[in-house]
Amino acid sequence: MKPLIPFVLVAASATAVAGTPVQILDAYANAVGAAYQVSAQRGAEFYARKFGVSAKMDSCATCHTGKPTQAGEHVITGKPIKPLAPAANADRFSDPAKVEKWFKRNCTEVVGRECSAGEKADFIAFVSGGL
Amino acid sequence: MTATERNILVWDLPVRLGHWLMAGGFALAWLTGDSEEWRLVHVAAGGTVVGVALFRLLWGLVGTRYARFADFVRGPHAAIAYLKSLLGPRPAHCVGHNPAGAWAIVLLLALGLLTGAAGWLTYQEIGGELFEELHEGLASTMLAVVVVHLVGVAVGSLVHRENLPRTMITGRKIGATRDAIIGARPLAAMVLLGWVGALAWLLSR
Repeated sequence: MKPLIPFVLVAASATAVAGTPVQILDAYANAVGAAYQVSAQRGAEFYARKFGVSAKMDSCATCHTGKPTQAGEHVITGKPIKPLAPAANADRFSDPAKVEKWFKRNCTEVVGRECSAGEKADFIAFVSGGL
Repeated sequence: MTATERNILVWDLPVRLGHWLMAGGFALAWLTGDSEEWRLVHVAAGGTVVGVALFRLLWGLVGTRYARFADFVRGPHAAIAYLKSLLGPRPAHCVGHNPAGAWAIVLLLALGLLTGAAGWLTYQEIGGELFEELHEGLASTMLAVVVVHLVGVAVGSLVHRENLPRTMITGRKIGATRDAIIGARPLAAMVLLGWVGALAWLLSR
């Protein structure tokens, strides 16, 4: 598992615009601790992991597909879901409150508990293309 | 019970059935709001609330005596006067809805319709986060009104020694025979059930 050094560097050089994916990632990483090394690899594993909590929504990838740059599909309603990756959908990970709201909702349902700050940081690193 | 007082019918069947469908629909919608797996159930539950509210608007014009808006919708002064009387030695009693309960009815009908409309727009991905936030804010407001309504029902039941939840099931209260409504309108209740079922199915299909 390789720590994600580039992200730390990008974060350090980012201009102070509220709500870029890097800033939101950084806030989660800092919540774990200054020494936390964000890993997009861990994020990728988390994204694909079958949690066995919800029968129909077993993993993140179930609805969001294996690639976060692709559009997904809600397995219950069949409605399209815009890509999670900020590279494919600039709205993603631009509003910290919205990010937190959806982590809380979807983690509770798919993971069976709230996600940790470290898991969230790793997740954003992965979907932001840090792999 | 005096000689002239009987167990009389006050609430027709559409009022009672509509009340419990709305209560159940709101409760189910509230509980499933954050879940994606229950999303279609949430939409059907919200559709039930909207369906009942739309039917109730019409029933408030053509329904039986105590179901009509003209019978119970009063201004804020009447509601305050009623609430004040509850504290005094001679609490005001109404055969139909009291003026404070009437406010709960009007607010819950309006909030049910608005919450449902905002929810439907969100579900159709129209207006984005605006309607999503609005939907959630309206639903929370509606829950607050429900809580006030429940407190009001509890207080009213105690003050008047009248089991109001049971009244909303049986439709009956103790009162003068001349105050009774003529019939329960089962046919209109069937129409309500069919309409709500169809709407809930259409919206969540």
